[in-house]
Amino acid sequence: MLEPMMYIGGAYKHSQLIELVEDLGGYILQKNIMQSEVVLLMLVPINDLAIVEIKSKELLGKLTRAPLTGSEIATVAPTLAYHHLPHLDCDVAEFLRKQGAKTNMVGLARGVGKRICQLTAFERDLINEHDVAVFILGNYEHCIIEKSKKLYEGIEIPIVVTGAPELRTEDVPNATAYVGSFGRILHHMRHAEELRTLDKLSAVIGKVLDDVRIEIAKDPPSVAPPRIKKEIEEQIPEIVDNLHPLPITLQMGGVRVKLPYEEYHEQIENIKFVEGVTMKEVARVLPSKMRNFILIKAIPKSETGFMI
Amino acid sequence: MEQFETFIVESPDATGARTTRSLIQDTVSDLSLSRVIVRMKVFVDPVEPVFILAALLRLGSPSIKIKDFAKVDMGSLGKDEVKIELDKEMFAIKLLNKLWATYGKNNIEQPDRKIIIVKTDPIKDLDMLRELVIEEPQQEVLDRLIDAIALRIIPEGFRVRKHELSNTHVLFVASEDTLKPEWLAKGKEIMDSLRREENA
Repeated sequence: MLEPMMYIGGAYKHSQLIELVEDLGGYILQKNIMQSEVVLLMLVPINDLAIVEIKSKELLGKLTRAPLTGSEIATVAPTLAYHHLPHLDCDVAEFLRKQGAKTNMVGLARGVGKRICQLTAFERDLINEHDVAVFILGNYEHCIIEKSKKLYEGIEIPIVVTGAPELRTEDVPNATAYVGSFGRILHHMRHAEELRTLDKLSAVIGKVLDDVRIEIAKDPPSVAPPRIKKEIEEQIPEIVDNLHPLPITLQMGGVRVKLPYEEYHEQIENIKFVEGVTMKEVARVLPSKMRNFILIKAIPKSETGFMI
Repeated sequence: MEQFETFIVESPDATGARTTRSLIQDTVSDLSLSRVIVRMKVFVDPVEPVFILAALLRLGSPSIKIKDFAKVDMGSLGKDEVKIELDKEMFAIKLLNKLWATYGKNNIEQPDRKIIIVKTDPIKDLDMLRELVIEEPQQEVLDRLIDAIALRIIPEGFRVRKHELSNTHVLFVASEDTLKPEWLAKGKEIMDSLRREENA
């Protein structure tokens, strides 16, 4: 079991920490160097966490658990109009990104209104490719409840809803979790109180993702998603020149590769692991709804009978 | 932000009313409309659903024409030209842009800072040029007001709308469903109560 961790510390000697994590069988997912400070997002084997903690103390850095690491989150707004953008929607997306998640913003075509709202098949499939969907709704209790009754139809991933009133999750139909004190805010969220609300949202999403992790651990994938990422980086050189943000985006149960499906899917299916298996034996390589990207879903151990 | 003389947001949903109030304040200050709106009353019932917004306005100065800041005369004898002599240079740039757009740059001359010569038939165009509108502050403000109310404040799903707009007031009634006569009557009533307050 890998633990998602964030390390913040000085750039000096941080490579020692990277080497340690890699030697322990963990993965470095993102490395951001800002002047003399470095932020590392990584997956560390849970049993060796103490060793990494000692090393980070020695380097005078801070090691915290970042449950959003390695997940892809869809932040869904009813439309991409002034009512929702740029504030609130972008604030939420950016805040979650800072916590280690990859966020994609989805603006629905006909998501407005409590009676007339709709979700198209394409939108539904696109949202289902993510790990969690965050629906950013408005000010009125009645509207949030009425809308929740039908807008999330067909969405199979956990749904986190935000809105102005303080409701209990049980009161919001079809939602996995509800976070209040948001609503339609038309200014940049930067006051202490608003930042606390955003903190609460990320904690709730972290909890939802932890539940997903526990669920996945019951029948673990034959190959860990970070391993897929590492093998693609090593065996498909074109990924280095890819200009998309996070060309290989990690998800809970797989990865999204930002290369055209038609050209690359065979090459990816035939990637060889040192254990002697190929990618197509341990994962499904599928066309993604997002542009013509590739979506890789790891096959669970119960189907293949082995784990690498 | 400068506060309006009356600013009431009414709704059976107290939290919703509070957030709606803050979003109106944000929009008004974003589009610098706080000096334009004098009084505002909003009524929202999400269950019906209906959104009513009524406001009394105080618009700025009326539109500005060339004759307000310049003398427009025939040019030199025997030539087809109109001479514009500016009293104030404040609107010179806007005026030049407008003239360039209508007559083309090669037909406009500016021999002196305050003199503009337009090469055109003076008999035909003289009166038209005197009355040419250079700036419309009121129209600009109303455009911004409509942007604020129709595109930012009214909930997006409320696509069925009826509005009244004049230089002194604005009234919007919006809903997701067909508008009911009693909502329109309520809008009128709110507007009247605002007017009564203004006259009291």
